[in-house]
Amino acid sequence: MGPMVWISALICIFGLLVKFILIIKEVYEKERYLLSYITVRHSLRSIIAWLIPFYPRSTRMRPVYYGISYLFHVLLFLLPVFLMSHIVLINESFNLSWPAMNDTAADILTIGVIFALVFFVLRRRFIPDVRFLTSFMDYILILMVLLPFVTGFLAYHQVILYKWIVIAHVLSGEVLLIVIPFSRFSHMITAPLTRAYTGSEFGNIRHARDW
Amino acid sequence: MSGNETISIEKSTDDAVENGLSRLTPQRVSHVINQVLHQETGARFKAYVDTCMRCGLCSDACSYFLSNDRDPSFSPAAKVKQTIWEMLAKKGKVSKDFLRRAVHIAHLECNVCRRCSMYCPFGIDIAYMMLLVRRICHKLEITPQYIQDTVNSHSVTMNQMWVKEDEWIDTLQWQEEDGREEFEDLRIPLDKQGVDIMYSVIAPEPKFQAGLIYQAAVIMHAAGMNWTMPASPGWDNSNMAMFTGDNEISGRIARTFFESAARLNVKRIVMGECGHAFRSTYDVGNRALSWAMPPFEVVHAIEFYHELLTAGRISIKKKFTKRVTLHDPCNVSRGRGLHNMARKIVNMTCSNFTEMTPNKEHNLCCGAGGGVVNCGPPYKKERMVNNRVKAEQLAATGAEVLIAPCHNCHSGLEDIIHHYKLNMEVKFLGDILFETMEKKIYRPEE
Amino acid sequence: MKQWKILMMFILALATSGIAFSQGEQERLNTLAFEMPRRPGAVFSHDDHTQTTEISDDCAICHHVYANKTLVPDESSEDNACSDCHSLQPDRKNSISLVNAFHKRCKECHYDLGKGPVLCGECHIKK
Repeated sequence: MGPMVWISALICIFGLLVKFILIIKEVYEKERYLLSYITVRHSLRSIIAWLIPFYPRSTRMRPVYYGISYLFHVLLFLLPVFLMSHIVLINESFNLSWPAMNDTAADILTIGVIFALVFFVLRRRFIPDVRFLTSFMDYILILMVLLPFVTGFLAYHQVILYKWIVIAHVLSGEVLLIVIPFSRFSHMITAPLTRAYTGSEFGNIRHARDW
Repeated sequence: MSGNETISIEKSTDDAVENGLSRLTPQRVSHVINQVLHQETGARFKAYVDTCMRCGLCSDACSYFLSNDRDPSFSPAAKVKQTIWEMLAKKGKVSKDFLRRAVHIAHLECNVCRRCSMYCPFGIDIAYMMLLVRRICHKLEITPQYIQDTVNSHSVTMNQMWVKEDEWIDTLQWQEEDGREEFEDLRIPLDKQGVDIMYSVIAPEPKFQAGLIYQAAVIMHAAGMNWTMPASPGWDNSNMAMFTGDNEISGRIARTFFESAARLNVKRIVMGECGHAFRSTYDVGNRALSWAMPPFEVVHAIEFYHELLTAGRISIKKKFTKRVTLHDPCNVSRGRGLHNMARKIVNMTCSNFTEMTPNKEHNLCCGAGGGVVNCGPPYKKERMVNNRVKAEQLAATGAEVLIAPCHNCHSGLEDIIHHYKLNMEVKFLGDILFETMEKKIYRPEE
Repeated sequence: MKQWKILMMFILALATSGIAFSQGEQERLNTLAFEMPRRPGAVFSHDDHTQTTEISDDCAICHHVYANKTLVPDESSEDNACSDCHSLQPDRKNSISLVNAFHKRCKECHYDLGKGPVLCGECHIKK
């Protein structure tokens, strides 16, 4: 594997880490009082409540979107990690290995991810309140996630232009990794933080549930 | 770039907003916006802005959105988009039309009830951002007229309704006098040092709902409480400055309030049935004064009544028989988790209780709180339109009496009931308690 | 519209050309040593490799012999199967698994020489 994979992976991990540290640092400097309200117990209570599928009322009111979104997020991480082709490459580099997902299953789930993203686009186009909130950037973000999956799917099936598709797959994956810390994709670390704070305010101060 | 354009709708405005707008210069606008958004906020605000994925799950939380047939511009995130996001994107260089719309959104299309942060998967506190917009409006001096007047009153008199000190004392003595005709030895102890309880109310009570103070005095009398009310400023627990973003005056109000409790050396503060006042003393005001939690134990009327009933200090003579339903005010349910206690009181005092749905933390907003009703008559009509769902929710219960343990909710719900011809009577928990309890005459042991 | 048609024809041409190239039996590595091969055996022509000038007649590049984890010079192992030494999982005797023996041997050489395929699907061509 070329160096760009490692560079982009490191940018992603360290970018998120730095972002996290900067947030905590700024809270310390400007809003330290927030720390007197946040508790581990209430943070976890809220985060866990929101990780249980269809437990929060909000998610029950939009079961289709929430269900698709939930599976999408799970697959977004599981698919690349447990894909055999990726494990083989990791194994060549680090001699590390873990069980791989069945190829056919991975293939079907990839189609699932692609459909989820198409669903997100359609939702952005046709649900009026979501459309109102949507900007061009939201489509770019969807495209950035879509590309590695579509190219990965095409590469696996060796449909056309195999070499170029693989290159596009690698590049789009790397771009996605690099972009994560600098875009709203960083909600992967900020969302648990905002959830934790709101969960603490609700649980610790207001003695109420926030789901 | 579809969906990115800010829609302009003809909305009500008032003189204070218009005159304020006419005074503004572009430099001042951008200076204030940037100052508030960058100096007065921190990582939390940035995280809220960066984390929102524009999914629209918050839409279903908002009674404005639901009441306006799912009009996208009323979605909570859309309110942020039409205010904060654009201010950030334009680095504060926004037009007066934009600001006119921003005042309207933040002051009249959001009750800062925080229901949306329960519907956002990330728990983004949109109410906080709407209060930031109000803070900007305050600093630009374009706050709506009627609510600004209440803040002016706070600033001058330390109460919301321009009640003068002698009027306040006079009102209490008048209630005491009336009370003594029915209940022997009833007192409204003024400025009594070292007692257990400082009882505090909002200024509208002495101004035009003095009967509520009378009722409270009768309840205190029957329960044999050792209580007092402050005779000097600091008796009003309301805080309208908290809702206009006038954090400086908001802090002054909270300080005066807690200082009067300290001066009277009381053990705890009991508050009348008001939601926003509770938010001010339990949640917001103390923070302005650098107290993580209130320096005194602050007890809302719901908690207090519950305590009196369960401790047997007051007993129920005959339960209320009319069909009742209960409205959960945001600031005591979402804001303090008192909804279950309120139900227990209702069940102890009423025989025919129907729940409304959704309820408890998920209850729909009254449409009046968060300073919206305080923006006054110019906006009443749209307030009625903006809370159709509440009327539908109320009608579905088929109840004759609606219990709402909050002043703001009371005003809002009464307006809605009248507007939608719901034939429902709005009562406080205290009203119910007063009607049903054993009003035994208390005689101190000789 | 015209651009669309041209684009569609281009895509069609490419798609069919892929089919055209994959016609006919290619010489492949056998996968008998693998319990459950998940990819078709890699396309591999022994003749092409022996005729390549860079390798010339040095069979021991691939058919090497290791003893005590060091390369034994001037010895080769044409009569052994790769799987005689490389087991499916790396073990104490040999740290290179069978899969990696193939992958690494092919790819490293191809990289070094700047010729020959290195992407997964270039060797594991779908049947």
